[in-house]
Amino acid sequence: MAVSATLRLDGVGFSYGAEAALRDVSFEVAAGERVALLGRNGAGKTTLVRLVAGLLHPDAGTVWVGGWDTGERAPEELARRVGSLFQHADQQLFARTVREDVGFGPRALGFPVHEVRRRTEEALDALALHAHAEQHPYDLPPALRKLAALAGALALEPMVLVLDEPTGGLDRGLRAHVADALREHAERGAALLVVTHDLAFAAETLDRGIVLDGGRLACDEPLAPLLGSAERLKPLGLVPPTVAALSVALDLSGRPVRERDAAHALARVAGGGPGL
Amino acid sequence: MRALHPFTLLAVAAALPALAWILPAPAGGLATAGIAFCLLGSRGLRRGLWPALVAAAPFWLFLLLLHDVRTTLAIGLRISTMVASFVWLAAVLAPDRLVEATVARGWSITAAYLFAATLSAVPMLRARARRIVEAQRCRGLSPRGSVANRLRALRALALPLVLSALHEVDERTLALEARGLVPGARRTPLAPPPDRVVERVVRWGLLLLCLAALVRRVA
Repeated sequence: MAVSATLRLDGVGFSYGAEAALRDVSFEVAAGERVALLGRNGAGKTTLVRLVAGLLHPDAGTVWVGGWDTGERAPEELARRVGSLFQHADQQLFARTVREDVGFGPRALGFPVHEVRRRTEEALDALALHAHAEQHPYDLPPALRKLAALAGALALEPMVLVLDEPTGGLDRGLRAHVADALREHAERGAALLVVTHDLAFAAETLDRGIVLDGGRLACDEPLAPLLGSAERLKPLGLVPPTVAALSVALDLSGRPVRERDAAHALARVAGGGPGL
Repeated sequence: MRALHPFTLLAVAAALPALAWILPAPAGGLATAGIAFCLLGSRGLRRGLWPALVAAAPFWLFLLLLHDVRTTLAIGLRISTMVASFVWLAAVLAPDRLVEATVARGWSITAAYLFAATLSAVPMLRARARRIVEAQRCRGLSPRGSVANRLRALRALALPLVLSALHEVDERTLALEARGLVPGARRTPLAPPPDRVVERVVRWGLLLLCLAALVRRVA
């Protein structure tokens, strides 16, 4: 069965003056897919996120979001379909309370009051922010401000979520909240494109890996085998996460990259099963 | 112009407004404003003249509302000189060179840093404002359209901009103190900008010119 793409890039190129940031990048992300966008610093990841959000327009090719050409739409119009989180997202908060800020997007898009409330409460729930809902955003530590900004993007309930380093500065517990929220939104049909240097988080949360190198698409494949291959990651400036490296070192069956899968494989080995 | 010693740039930027207020109006103000805008013109229309004109315009408007044409002209030209001098200084003075020059002279590093940080904050705040506007647009906020829309967009920009700037000042202060930047501390100059004799003469000349103009005015 053919899966219709929610996000599609057709031969996209973009330059900052004479410096090419992206060259002939093409890929598709279907509804419900969870994709990691990887690559070393300067590979073009943030540029790609800005193109999808409509903040930049491609010099060549087209970015499609559910049939909309992002080059022909303003970012505020694309907000109906694309939820974005940028690297300094904690600086965008301005309302008097976290709850008010999370509800800002749905209000700006003109949804009815009950819908604004539902989306706001669900987004706060998803990231366990209810305890802070009545606090001023700037009374929160930066990590929680980042979560509040992410909740604002989730409250848009977009068909595409593009997130630039959503786990930067978050501890393990907060990362788990983010992972759960992203899985839930993907299950509801959102396409996820997550820029991250946190390969452990990517391994736990995402399924497919797209790697950019020097502005070009270097690879696009299932994430688990890619993360287990140090030889392939090294020239792309990436290092396998600890669990993936451990699986390879111990030659665990199926080369798991997620902690739970690796624990099961190890338990089988310890129990004399066919793990090792 | 950027190659000039920072103290020379400061002296020019301070002397022009001083002369604008000391010399008789409107000729004095006209002359100093003319010089200031000529200096700015060398930076181009977009990066030099335009910001100064935009900054000075509201002053002219309010002066016209409050005073007759003669007074408006007298005060407006003086204020325009001040604005143009500051915009010119912000464009040509490299904050790090000023800090180096001050350190080399053995003056207070804290005062120099305060001034340099103020100048370097302008492009930083502009970049941050752009980031915030982009983030708000991605949340559905349109900065265009009706006055209400624009006011809403302004609030969504101003509050995070000011709060994050204050927050950064706090963090930067702690970071500087933690690295030994405290009042009275001696700092090692690494590459002090060259201070030529001719520039020193120009600086003293400007000071004497201001004093002479003041004495003449008072007398």
